[in-house]
Amino acid sequence: MNAPLESGIGGYVPMVDGPEKVSGRARYTADLAVRPGTLVARLYRSPYAHAEILEVDVSQATRLPGVRAVITGADCDRTFGVLPIARSEHPLARGKVRYRGEPVAAVAAVDDATAKAAIALIRMKVRELPAYFSAAEALAPDALPIHERKRGNIEREVRFEIGDVAQAFAEADLVQEGTYHCPEVCQNQMEMHAALVDYDAEADRLTVHATTQTPHYIHLMMAHVLELPMSKIRVIKPHVGGGFGARTETLNVELIAALLARKTRGRVRLVVTREETFLTHRGRPESHIRVKIGLRRDGRITGVECDCIQRGGAHSGYGIVTILYAGSLLYGLYDLKHVNYHGVRALTNTPPCGAFRGHGTVNVRFAFESLLDRMAEQLGLDPLSVRRANLLVPPTFTDNDLMVNSYGLPECIDWVERRSGWRERRGRLPRGQGLGFACSHYVSGASKAVNPGSEPNATVKVRLDHDGSVAVLSGAAEIGQGSTTVIAQTVAEVLGLGLDRVHVISGDSDLVPTDNGSYSSRVTFQVGNAALDAARQLKTILLNAAARRLETRVENVECLGEHYRAGAQDTGLSFDEVAAEALRGGTIVVTGTYTTIPESHGGKKYLGAAIGGTMAFSYSAQVVQVSVDEDTGVVNVEKVWVAHDCGKALNRLTVEGQVQGSVWMGMGQAMSEEMGYHEGLMVAANMLDYRVPTIFDSPDIEVGIVESNDPHGPFGAKEAGEGSLAALLPALANAVHDAIGIRFDALPMTPDRILAAIEKRRRGHA
Amino acid sequence: MDVLPNFSVTHAASIDDIVRARAAAPDSRLIAGGTDLMVNIRRGIVAPSVLIDVSQVAELRTIRADADAIELGAAVTLAEVAAHPGVQQHFASVAEAAGSIAGPTHRNMGTVGGNLCLDTRCIFYNQSEWWRGAINHCLKTTGAICHVAPKSRGVCFATFSGDLAPALLVHGAEVEVGGPAGRRIFPLERLYIGHARQDRPFSETLGDGKSYLGLRPREFVIAVRAGRTPGLISGYDKIRIRRSIEYPVAGVAVALRRDGPAFADLRIAFTGTNPRPVLLAGTETLRGRSFDEESRDRLEALVRDQVMSMKTTFTPGHYRRRVASVLARRSVARLFERGESD
Repeated sequence: MNAPLESGIGGYVPMVDGPEKVSGRARYTADLAVRPGTLVARLYRSPYAHAEILEVDVSQATRLPGVRAVITGADCDRTFGVLPIARSEHPLARGKVRYRGEPVAAVAAVDDATAKAAIALIRMKVRELPAYFSAAEALAPDALPIHERKRGNIEREVRFEIGDVAQAFAEADLVQEGTYHCPEVCQNQMEMHAALVDYDAEADRLTVHATTQTPHYIHLMMAHVLELPMSKIRVIKPHVGGGFGARTETLNVELIAALLARKTRGRVRLVVTREETFLTHRGRPESHIRVKIGLRRDGRITGVECDCIQRGGAHSGYGIVTILYAGSLLYGLYDLKHVNYHGVRALTNTPPCGAFRGHGTVNVRFAFESLLDRMAEQLGLDPLSVRRANLLVPPTFTDNDLMVNSYGLPECIDWVERRSGWRERRGRLPRGQGLGFACSHYVSGASKAVNPGSEPNATVKVRLDHDGSVAVLSGAAEIGQGSTTVIAQTVAEVLGLGLDRVHVISGDSDLVPTDNGSYSSRVTFQVGNAALDAARQLKTILLNAAARRLETRVENVECLGEHYRAGAQDTGLSFDEVAAEALRGGTIVVTGTYTTIPESHGGKKYLGAAIGGTMAFSYSAQVVQVSVDEDTGVVNVEKVWVAHDCGKALNRLTVEGQVQGSVWMGMGQAMSEEMGYHEGLMVAANMLDYRVPTIFDSPDIEVGIVESNDPHGPFGAKEAGEGSLAALLPALANAVHDAIGIRFDALPMTPDRILAAIEKRRRGHA
Repeated sequence: MDVLPNFSVTHAASIDDIVRARAAAPDSRLIAGGTDLMVNIRRGIVAPSVLIDVSQVAELRTIRADADAIELGAAVTLAEVAAHPGVQQHFASVAEAAGSIAGPTHRNMGTVGGNLCLDTRCIFYNQSEWWRGAINHCLKTTGAICHVAPKSRGVCFATFSGDLAPALLVHGAEVEVGGPAGRRIFPLERLYIGHARQDRPFSETLGDGKSYLGLRPREFVIAVRAGRTPGLISGYDKIRIRRSIEYPVAGVAVALRRDGPAFADLRIAFTGTNPRPVLLAGTETLRGRSFDEESRDRLEALVRDQVMSMKTTFTPGHYRRRVASVLARRSVARLFERGESD
């Protein structure tokens, strides 16, 4: 039974925190023991989409017995926002409300019923203003500014042209353009947002428990908004039930809980509802995209033009980064020479968008790959050949200065071609059935962190103590993606130990080194490299200790994990004996760090060109098989073949899981998910109407792992959690076209839209 | 989901218990599985002070189905209906409908009575209190207008989405209800004519989403029953956006009997389209005909006339009417073919 586990690098390793999760022992923020005296918080949210606040009357609510505090925008004049250049949001609205659902006031009371009753007593007087629910309305010349500092409701406009696109189109055999529409989608992670905040009045110290992917960003923003030194704040991240980008920035939930805790000089718990989790939002923005591509008969892409308009919502959030990613990640997948990009991020009176899995790239990739498929058909080219005619040759830098060292895309294409029987089956399936193909990629960590002063990019401490255990102290946020497991595996692998010797301590700012958190698929690459550095340092210490005991030179010592020896004949020393020798000077703590190289920091050819800069890209190719019921418009996604280049699979189980998860999430956006609005009110802010596919909707997914061994990745590894999302959408749309001959340039492809298109064609033929 | 308000729960052991408990607390509601009611309570749509748990009332737990008849007590679970061999064999539409409702866990909890009395649904209604307040509520609650059809003049278009009702209607089911004045039995379709409209013939009402049940004050469903017509075969099919945890975009039950090459009997009922389940009127004109092009056209015309297309969900209403017709045609064709070999 208790045989030591190997590190399992390259194998199928169950997640180290799996047993406590599946057995129900794991505690999430909302589960944390609530001791007597803990106050319950609730929010009063604006019913107006855009209005000047004349008065927020909380007098009756304040007088209600059991109410301990009521706060409004008057209690905090500081703004927050993940980007230092775009902090536009108050924890509680001041002066104006900008979307339906924006928090206006908050109550802390002895119990939920009292808090609820108090909320009902709050009165708000406003002067309503014209509200803009679409980017087009907000960008109209006569629209009022939603934020005074952003005239024209443009959060950011990006323009660049690299090369000569007009000339490139002139040299093409076919130039085509398409317009594409992607609706707003939400992450809809399982766990609802929650915060539990303690204020210690004597020490003037805050302890924050929150549902987050980025505890350090909460730490920074909490200090800024509450005007406390960071040393007076402790941030703890308990188990987290998913994020997918919704929690990569500080949310108003934790800030409001902290303001209430300080005001009441006590402990406040705020667990918001599913609807409020949707309203807090940070999903993928509705996007209108126009793409134009020049293609030669040999399949070479001569040039690309792309316009992208995003409906960003009422506040900045990550918006500037999103609109920049949408342009910069046109590059990095294929060898593009002449590119013109124009992006507009609009402010609107809808909840603020954010960084959704595949941040910035997904909608543009859908447009690009859909148009490329259409043009390949028009030139009579195989969609795979077109991609093969445009491959990068690594190592290289793209024209916008993104670094590419490892490039497994050709192998990904080969794998799905072979496994799906593409050559034999494509074009030979019965009517109503079809195959579609597309590719995508994603960064393995943004090379430059969002906030300055976050260098090195990652720090990990490894501690060896007299108990003989190896503790890894990491700030990486385990959010279900497997970061704790991969860090444990990395350290165990270097030291040759089983996973039972190594345990990871994370998620508490009092204990672990600062870490930028789990976003942009940075953890395996950046934190993994820091863990590798720390583990190697400890190994050197252990080898030296063994050499001293064995009275030999360190070069002669061989580390076998639980056993150290000098030569095959040597009986050697046990790990515990070596550890005892090493510990003669006391507990050992080594610090490993990782810093990205300047070559990976993106370029300077246009303002914001650093966005997209990464140490390595993952690559994905997919073939999707569908059948379409032409009488009802119902699409059945029968099978997905997906190959993902993750450099090196440190844990095949979690890599496959992440790739399958990407396919599912992409399928949701392609097939059924859509956040609609009625006059700025979210219509589908619940798990029934916001249609995430169920297991009954899941196709058979066959995952192929391609290992291109990145020279900078830990053991050669790159990211696995995001790169396979984007390709699914166009591959599915291209499959639907192959099945029924109709191209869908608007998502999701719900049965009513499919049927409407089929009937429109029938009428056209009649 | 929001926290639940306070309420008390009383456990009924008999029909009389239920009658007494309802008399004692006029704002009480019956609960068995709670899959519909609890969601509405959390959303502040209803706030009963007392819930009467009827899940253990023996008489409501009756389930019986054989070659002659079917009887389903109100507290029989949907999973039990779907798994019952007699229901599967002799009342296929009922088993198929029950087995396709929502998701597996809902079917383990949800009951016959709950599904027959399922509250009508609408995107302007199935929302939080805050949400509904932001647009001054709607006709179905305390508001002045129907946001689906602002000129509806007092008619609520919230849609009936129960799957069992059409499956039972095509078998000519009757419902037994109990209440302060004792028991009464009437045809199931009359359950879906709002109490205020009971004086009008069924065919003349389109149903009303607000007053959607024909129960008198404090009445409740005890059981639903149907006899079996020899030779009658039935089935149920529906369209959903996803394949589980979903209400029907449109559901259709069909029952038919063949006499050689022609229909001897044809009954079709829909759900998910109108404020009440729709037992299609006029199908008797197909008797004596085979299922040819002319029959198909007639069927489509009947559907077009009787199935509504209001946008009470995210899915456009005209799509629901369109696929209701497709499903009806397909189900009739499938059963017509099978009827030949039976």
